Amino acid sequence: MSKVVIVPCSGIGKSYGTVAREGAYVVTEDLRPDTTQRVPLSLLVLGDEQAHADVVGAPSITIDGCKLACATKMVTESGGTVAHDPSAPLRASLAVLDVYRRHRDLKPAGIAELNEGGQKLAQALAEEVVTLVDALSTADSLPLSQNDGGGAGDGGQNA
Amino acid sequence: MSEEMLKLTIDKFTFRVPKGLYFNDAGAWVRLEGSVARLGLSDFAQQRSGDMAFAEVKPVETLLKPGDEFASIETIKVNVILPSPVTGVIAEINHALEDAPELINQDPYGEGWLVVVELTDWDNDTSRLLDAEAYYALIKRQAEEEMKKK
Repeated sequence: MSKVVIVPCSGIGKSYGTVAREGAYVVTEDLRPDTTQRVPLSLLVLGDEQAHADVVGAPSITIDGCKLACATKMVTESGGTVAHDPSAPLRASLAVLDVYRRHRDLKPAGIAELNEGGQKLAQALAEEVVTLVDALSTADSLPLSQNDGGGAGDGGQNA
Repeated sequence: MSEEMLKLTIDKFTFRVPKGLYFNDAGAWVRLEGSVARLGLSDFAQQRSGDMAFAEVKPVETLLKPGDEFASIETIKVNVILPSPVTGVIAEINHALEDAPELINQDPYGEGWLVVVELTDWDNDTSRLLDAEAYYALIKRQAEEEMKKK
């Protein structure tokens, strides 16, 4: 089976985006380097051929930093598939805000360098991603949704 | 609920202000419903604050006077304590916000309401509140000032 693709928010200028990106690094470099690969959102935006081929060729787990859900939208617009099992709590688009709601003591702050709470939140996020990765890696087949932008926000904008 | 809206568009953002509601300058709105008032956070205030992480309101039977904290919100950007715009007693709270504080972002004048207050001094309260037109003018000034800082 091809490696599960992890696409995080690009993490520029916002703490929650940085948590998304750091969490993706923890998964792909420390926790599951053999079964995952990270695809930078910026390459998808720029139309990089290899990045597009990667997301088209394997199920993706997206990590969104805010409700704009750029990572999820970009993967689906690139023809990729965000793994999705509607019958179980297995949704492969994660929002950092939802993870924070489950770990209120880990308030992230900082951008270039996360505070301790942010670093621990990235670790907690990574562990949730790993649960999804392991499920995807062991399942014979999971339903895939090409247009599923849900679970990561409502696509609104903030001032 | 269908209400006539004033709409303010600044840059890529549009802020809605329903006619018929009252506001304080912190962005709490008041919808009069007989002897009670429903309170919430304005569209401008919610967009300015960002994605809601947590919303907490004071419990039923809490006595309020203008300026007293009646709710607090934590977003990805800020922590905000909301001062009450009215005098009275909290009669009902929106329990849906415990699991879904994002309702404040998604539907600030509807499903995202915060509390219902049994009013005890409405005549004096109204003298301190802004109507929709006055609140529109206030947020227009604030939004334009923020745009100048960019």
